[in-house]
Amino acid sequence: MSLLDISELTLDLPNGTRLLDGISLSVDAGETVGLVGESGSGKSLTARSVLGLTPDGARLGGRVELDGREVIGASAAGILDLRRHAASMIFQDPRAGINPMRTLGDHMTETLRLCEGRSKADATARAAELLASVQLPRPEEHLKQYPHEFSGGMLQRVMIAGALTSSPKLLICDEPTTALDVTTQAEIIRVLIEQRSSRGMGMLFITHDLNLAASICDRVVVMSAGRVEETGDARRVFSAPQGEYTKRLVAATPTIAAATGATGVDVIDVRAVPSIETERSDAEPMLAANGISKTYHLRGKTEVNAVVDASISIARGGALAVVGESGSGKSTLARMIVGLEQADAGDIRIAGRERTEIPRGRAARLAHARSVQMVFQDPYLSLDPRMTAGRSIEDALRLHTKLSTSDARARVLALLEQVGLGEKHAQARPRTLSGGQRQRVAIARALAIDPDVLVMDEATSALDVSVQAQVLDVLAEIRRERGLTVLFISHDLAVVRRVCEETVVMRRGRIVERGRTAALLAAPEHPYTQLLIDSVPRPDWAVDPVADQKSA
Amino acid sequence: MTTPTPTLAVEVMRAPRLRPAGITFGIALGIVSVMTLAAIFAPFIAPYPPDQLDFAAVNAGPSAAHWLGTDALGRDLLSRLIYGARTALLGPLLVVIGSTIIGMLLGLLAGWRGGWIDSVLGRVFDVLFAFPSLLLAIMAVALFGKGLIAPVIAMSIAYAPFVARLTRALVKAERTRPYVSAYRVQGFSGPWIALRRVLPNVTPIVGAQSTLNFGYVLAELAGLSFLGLGVQPPTPDWGAMINEAQPGIVGGFFLPAIVPAVAVVLVVVAVNIIGEELSERIGGEIPA
Repeated sequence: MSLLDISELTLDLPNGTRLLDGISLSVDAGETVGLVGESGSGKSLTARSVLGLTPDGARLGGRVELDGREVIGASAAGILDLRRHAASMIFQDPRAGINPMRTLGDHMTETLRLCEGRSKADATARAAELLASVQLPRPEEHLKQYPHEFSGGMLQRVMIAGALTSSPKLLICDEPTTALDVTTQAEIIRVLIEQRSSRGMGMLFITHDLNLAASICDRVVVMSAGRVEETGDARRVFSAPQGEYTKRLVAATPTIAAATGATGVDVIDVRAVPSIETERSDAEPMLAANGISKTYHLRGKTEVNAVVDASISIARGGALAVVGESGSGKSTLARMIVGLEQADAGDIRIAGRERTEIPRGRAARLAHARSVQMVFQDPYLSLDPRMTAGRSIEDALRLHTKLSTSDARARVLALLEQVGLGEKHAQARPRTLSGGQRQRVAIARALAIDPDVLVMDEATSALDVSVQAQVLDVLAEIRRERGLTVLFISHDLAVVRRVCEETVVMRRGRIVERGRTAALLAAPEHPYTQLLIDSVPRPDWAVDPVADQKSA
Repeated sequence: MTTPTPTLAVEVMRAPRLRPAGITFGIALGIVSVMTLAAIFAPFIAPYPPDQLDFAAVNAGPSAAHWLGTDALGRDLLSRLIYGARTALLGPLLVVIGSTIIGMLLGLLAGWRGGWIDSVLGRVFDVLFAFPSLLLAIMAVALFGKGLIAPVIAMSIAYAPFVARLTRALVKAERTRPYVSAYRVQGFSGPWIALRRVLPNVTPIVGAQSTLNFGYVLAELAGLSFLGLGVQPPTPDWGAMINEAQPGIVGGFFLPAIVPAVAVVLVVVAVNIIGEELSERIGGEIPA
């Protein structure tokens, strides 16, 4: 009998909306099952229902059996007992799940003393042991520390240790590494795998990242819109997906692995972009930043060197990626280029014009805006919530051109069409648009000004993979049509490989390596680049879906 | 770093519970609307002119001729109540509008510019906070004479810091948002973004909060005319009515004092309920 057995689970809200529709899955002891899907697919809800964490008033149907006991309809005491002894859960954001006013020792020993009735000294010793087992360097010391003293990755390890205090048979991980850098993610995954095998736990691993699921799961369950689309051996699902949805999902997922021939994954790539200009090295580059630096002086703290002596250049029509983890200074670099921050040293030239200073005065502002535009990371925040999509674009148009109202409206529609949206989207306020649609509006708004350079700061990071693929398609299309020069800032090497011919890698404000993307990924020279590439999760089998499909 | 996207499950759990606020809110809205209409159409609906004396019915109880009875001079209480609603509602309305305009502009200036302007304005607000608004109004009366105008101006200033502090906090939060950076990158000027885009975005929350001030101001202005410093007789005013009814209380005639007092309480409570409900509906956490 399985450790966790969910069959025909349904969940309805009081208003009749069916959020889960006939979910069936099982997890055995010692096994990792991946629950994969895009946002809104119901994967978190499924996992939460195992611990009885369902929305108020929701009606559940079907069976959820955990360790031989039925969860649905169990008494509060029964569910408490399951949570204490059978299963525990770690969440996406470790900082949201820990009381910032209490020490880690309090956090760790509370469960031990409450659930297992250990003495204080005994609980403390056990807590230190657990912290050591998740590879934290100084367990005894950490017990006296507060959450704010820890980085996100360390705190997530504390959360794992906390979840292990009850010696659960099943560990549910809800996107535990999504908010973390890729190298940190690799460490967390290592800890999780280690704990699973030493304890023989079952693991239900929720993620939106197919590569990650492929690299650690034995079996995967693909979910979409509250239904299970496909279940099976991880390798089989990713190499030879059966369902239409899974096929699309797999196709939309960018991989870091070098494309060997037609994999179907790499529809848009370098070939799409005319590379004649890049050959002419003597021509002045479209964007040239020379030795720019930025240091932040915070009161009472040591100064932070956000960017140190960085130089980049992009040829007309080229695309350069800046890759780095959080705190590497890549966003500061972008903000200096678009004129939101003033560089302390160095100079920035765009299309041959000096653009180092933060623009002052109307003429300078408009000129700077026409030379460079930016698409921000989170489309939920970068559009004015009160303005309709059409109005946002129209505002930008009317600031920069002298179009009449009707001409401006027509231009807005043309721009929206260019990014694959239509008239009805022009009337919509941001909150009624999906993430992908919003990001397209943001792109259209940037294009309205017809800039020389487009900076995309993590512009696809907040989007689901299939939506990300659409946005990247739109970008490729625009580059083809307009010969737009793009500076693409990202933490995601797989996306970068798909978009940019050239890449620079940043670490702690410095550029540590630069080169053509393919070459850089294939043969990284700097140890940090190697670490980054090694940390990207990837299945330990060769990905060649087309070949597998043919043989299957 | 990937931004965590809240999943549907989390959204559902965060969704606020439906509250049975409908009835209370409806009654409150009804009271305020009736009072407002009464004030506007007073000459048409009041059964008597407010200052018509009827010596045949002095301190009379409720009757068919005088629904709420009469006061010591035989004036119809209902009519005086209806006419009194004019100054009772107009004063607070002017104060709310005045303090909102002053407060929002100063708050915007402090929150948007930051730096020394913020510090100086912050100290000024602190001083005004420490100053009871009623005291400021009395000072204004002492300087500029009795009536409605001087207290209204004084209280507009006294209440501005409440609005300004909220506006400042909201603007400070708003200006760090990427959409403001996006406007900057597009080439819009700082003042344009602040006035045309950020200010309208914070207005609903500030407006709802300002509504709450209405009740306090109404009570304070009524207090002022009770003290004989606000609206002057013979203009009917609720506060002045309570004042004039004082001698009657000794004689056992409570109604002339109770009727305007109840009116004050009803409107203040109703306005507060509406203000609370509006703030809640417009939502948005109100930063400290």
